[in-house]
Amino acid sequence: MNAIPRRTALALLCAAPLAFAARAARAHAGPSEASAASALSLALPLASIAAAPVMILSAGAVLTVTAIDVSAHGTVWILERASDGARASVELSAAGIEASAVAIGTVITVTALSAGWILSAAGAALCFIPNAIGQALLYGERITP
Amino acid sequence: MNALTVVRRLRAAALVAVVVFVAAPPLAFAGRPCSERTLTTQELTRSLELAAHTLTALERSGAQAAVIARAGQNLTEWGLRFSHIGIAYYDRDALEGRGAWRVVHKLNHCGSDRASLFRNGLGDFFGEDLYDYEAAIVTFAPAPGAVLATRLKDNFTVARMHEVRYNMLAYPWATRYQQSNQWAIETLAFVLEPGATDRSRAQAWLRLRGYQPTTLHIDALRRLGARVGSANIAFDDHPPARRFTDRIDTVTADSVLDWLMTSGLGRERLIVR
Repeated sequence: MNAIPRRTALALLCAAPLAFAARAARAHAGPSEASAASALSLALPLASIAAAPVMILSAGAVLTVTAIDVSAHGTVWILERASDGARASVELSAAGIEASAVAIGTVITVTALSAGWILSAAGAALCFIPNAIGQALLYGERITP
Repeated sequence: MNALTVVRRLRAAALVAVVVFVAAPPLAFAGRPCSERTLTTQELTRSLELAAHTLTALERSGAQAAVIARAGQNLTEWGLRFSHIGIAYYDRDALEGRGAWRVVHKLNHCGSDRASLFRNGLGDFFGEDLYDYEAAIVTFAPAPGAVLATRLKDNFTVARMHEVRYNMLAYPWATRYQQSNQWAIETLAFVLEPGATDRSRAQAWLRLRGYQPTTLHIDALRRLGARVGSANIAFDDHPPARRFTDRIDTVTADSVLDWLMTSGLGRERLIVR
């Protein structure tokens, strides 16, 4: 019997670097907090997860970046789970992610939460993959100049 | 005035400034630098979980609108728990008709004396460098909740009471400046009271409905230090009689949450962790 590599092509659209992840700028805060406008987001692209199997994103999963494809449309990471070789394709939907922080061989950890998944490397969050709850939590619109 | 006199006066002024900075204990709310910091994975996780729990609480409440508060800063020195409020409402048209909660709120441009209005999701609202991962919610009764949920979708309505000149400690009964929590309650007044067509009238309605600001006790040295060191703090809109007796009145998140319940505008007060 031919061994069929257990490979799963997941098309995950990874919402750009969590807007609030990278821009935790704070001004003075106080009885009336003066949060810096730049702290907040900013129209985070809503992510979509193409069908299952999303089990590869189970909590604590450790993935390794095996390929990186950068194009005008964004960046795609091919991630492979060390335990069984399952693969996922993660698409970063917007520019701005600190791509330099990720290279082939980078080990990525998955943190699962009720709103989706956070992918991080060396303790630093790289991006957020929202599920349906997460999609409902993300929105950014500046109303006045 | 000759050149030597000018130099002497400048030196004296510089010395005064140095003395103020050295001698005046910093105001807690004026002491945080406007710096960029990347949140850790754990902080992000806690922020997003807080947002998700807040969403659950809002959905279970059955309300259409609420005031929500976050604890972005340790304010125990002032006897306060929460630092910033926004007005949350359910937008049934959001997400292509699937509906979502949105928050409108006012934010100061980093360290400046200007501010803008934003509409965010709950994840963005709590996606801050929070002091504590706890949120407060006061839901609105059905009638005001329905009005707010309808009218806050309109940007003109949201911006009608907005004053761009920002003062973190703005006097609640003046219109020279406006801080974020003050914008929120004046906007509530504008939306809920047809006669509140400008800021002065909105403030009159707030007085009529029994809103009481928080009085902070800040001595002259700390006021001077804060004023000199922070573009977003001013005291010149406060009545001299109160300012010179160290009483600084301003709109705090805690005072708004209390008022909503005592005024009858709020239906239920919830704490989410």
